[in-house]
Amino acid sequence: MKLRRIRESIRWRLALAMACAMCAALFLTGWALQRLFHEHVTQQFAQALEIHLDQVTAGLETDENGSPRIDPEQLEQLNDPLWQEPYSGLYWQVDRIKSADASAGQTAKHAQTGILRSRSLWDATLILPQDALADGRTHQHVITGPNQQTLMTLERAVHTDESDENQWRLIVAADMASVEQALAGFSGLLALSLGILFVLLMLAAILQIHVGLAPLRRLRAALRQIRRGKAHQLSGRYPQEVQPLVDDFNQVLSRNAEIVSRSRTQAGNLAHAIKTPLAVLQQAGELALQTPETQELAQLLLEQVDIAGRQVNWHLAHSRAAAAGVPGHATPLAPVLASLIQTMKMVYAERNIEMDWEAPAPPVVFAGETQDLQEMLGNLLDNACKWARGRIVIETACHATELTIDIGDDGPGMLPEVVNSALLRGVRLDESTPGSGLGLSIVTELATLYRGRLEFSSSPSLGGLQVRLILPAVPGEQEMDSGDSADDRS
Amino acid sequence: MRLLLVEDERTLRQQLALGLKRAGYAVDEADNGQEALFLGDTENYDAVILDLGLPGMDGLSVLKRWRTNRRVMPVLILTARDGWHEKVEGIDAGADDYLAKPFQMEELLARIRALIRRSQGLASPLLECRGIVLDTRDSKVTVDGWPVVLTSHEFMVLDYLMHRPGVIVSRTELTEHIYAQDFDRDSNTIEVFVARLRKKLPPDAIKTVRGLGYQLVVEPCP
Repeated sequence: MKLRRIRESIRWRLALAMACAMCAALFLTGWALQRLFHEHVTQQFAQALEIHLDQVTAGLETDENGSPRIDPEQLEQLNDPLWQEPYSGLYWQVDRIKSADASAGQTAKHAQTGILRSRSLWDATLILPQDALADGRTHQHVITGPNQQTLMTLERAVHTDESDENQWRLIVAADMASVEQALAGFSGLLALSLGILFVLLMLAAILQIHVGLAPLRRLRAALRQIRRGKAHQLSGRYPQEVQPLVDDFNQVLSRNAEIVSRSRTQAGNLAHAIKTPLAVLQQAGELALQTPETQELAQLLLEQVDIAGRQVNWHLAHSRAAAAGVPGHATPLAPVLASLIQTMKMVYAERNIEMDWEAPAPPVVFAGETQDLQEMLGNLLDNACKWARGRIVIETACHATELTIDIGDDGPGMLPEVVNSALLRGVRLDESTPGSGLGLSIVTELATLYRGRLEFSSSPSLGGLQVRLILPAVPGEQEMDSGDSADDRS
Repeated sequence: MRLLLVEDERTLRQQLALGLKRAGYAVDEADNGQEALFLGDTENYDAVILDLGLPGMDGLSVLKRWRTNRRVMPVLILTARDGWHEKVEGIDAGADDYLAKPFQMEELLARIRALIRRSQGLASPLLECRGIVLDTRDSKVTVDGWPVVLTSHEFMVLDYLMHRPGVIVSRTELTEHIYAQDFDRDSNTIEVFVARLRKKLPPDAIKTVRGLGYQLVVEPCP
């Protein structure tokens, strides 16, 4: 789920990419700085060692026996307490190297390690790898000295006289712990500052993403307005990357609305154009029915007028229904139901039907067009009025995104197989009750277009048929918001 | 009873007018919105049959204007557009009933009768007064169970009075509601119809209130 979320969210993708890029950049920077500092510190350390080596070199002499010693005057200069303190971490040492006699090949035999040593070395000697040193050149080594100290050593080969007999190797060594310490301190500081930098950059990146995605959030809010039926178009100006999409979407929306209204107008015009002549034919037929000579013809005419009328109604109703389901509409249920009940009371005034209905306390809002809702409820109520003996009960409820309307009557009710046939095209429920049988099939069709449905049962309180119409509802403000955050979570 | 028939389709209007006249109504005809508005505003009709698709001014606007002008006569809307939203729109505009084309003449007559009856606050289609029974459904009259044969004008006078038992109806009012607008009215003929009616009904059923008009007496005089 987490992976899916990252893949599907622009915000997460951008944030992840930014984090990766910044990590890489900061890591490289850190590594480079670390290297640079390491080199610098080591170099300084080596320079200090070189000064020490020079001091020791300057003080080196040989006595008459050819034994080396350090000139006491020079020793004054080497009076750093660290030279005296045992295992202080600063050492010097003098080795004898037998020069490479042509005859000898026994250099090693005469070589002698640790002839002279600083006091700080105590009884330890520094063991350096053997290497051939050119005169005056220095070599650097890192060795492990007394007390497991990591020492940096600097060595130099010198002659105290002209002969090749006495060649000495002078060594100074210093504990690298201070370097390590400095490096560790620097690393810590570096990591800390790079970490802070990362956090700051990430914050900036998130801010940038937030600002950058603001138009998309506005777009979403605008879409929500359409879904709630508060707007028919996406409103406002958007950045040029988004605007074309918005424009296209708006165009589709307005084109849809246009098609719907045009097809409705045309259906109405067609109805008028066809039904008025049909009405004329009907009257003429009824008149002709009264004359014996024309009776047969009149019968035929009336039959055909009836069929034509029903066909026209069916096709008109369906062409109206076909245009249903355009988004961006919201219809409060109460006023529609109230005026339909009023209409039923007028049309069925002779029947004196009692219609019970209470407007629900939080207004129920249908997510669709007023005309479609009127068509569905009108047909259902009309049907109930035809069958009721004297009472109809209407109950409305809303559960989150679904609204239900129950219409029950105290009529004879319906058998399941009759209900099914009632849904078929043009089937009359009962020939003795006027009506085309069109009503229920149109309601089903409209409800299906809105992804709703129609359910039949027996009215628990009245005993007759109960029809339940289930349609999408526009959720209330709170439910809408919680619904949105549910989207976010998924 | 006098009706206003508003329909722009000539043939249909003639057919309906014929059917209505045969059923015993005086019928005024109009074929456009303005004329309908004028007639409805100035004449007293017992009911109006109003087509919605009219030239000049559409039926709904005419109806709304009548209702704004406090014209309360019952109005039956006749239209080819029979979506429920159109029916609701009609009722909301002040119509009392609705009939979709094509329709049977019988259906129209039944609805007109019911409308007229209801506009007088009468619930039953059987009008009764002092043994006189008038069945509005088939226009038959009986007195104490015996059928009485009436001419169409006699019936129209009785019908009008039976819809308003106990109310004093002036001769002019009777004339207005028995003759169509273009008819050459003569209020003296009303006296003739009433005189003939009295012979066929219980003797003191219709009372002449001097200087005011006629009254169908509900309770026999003590």
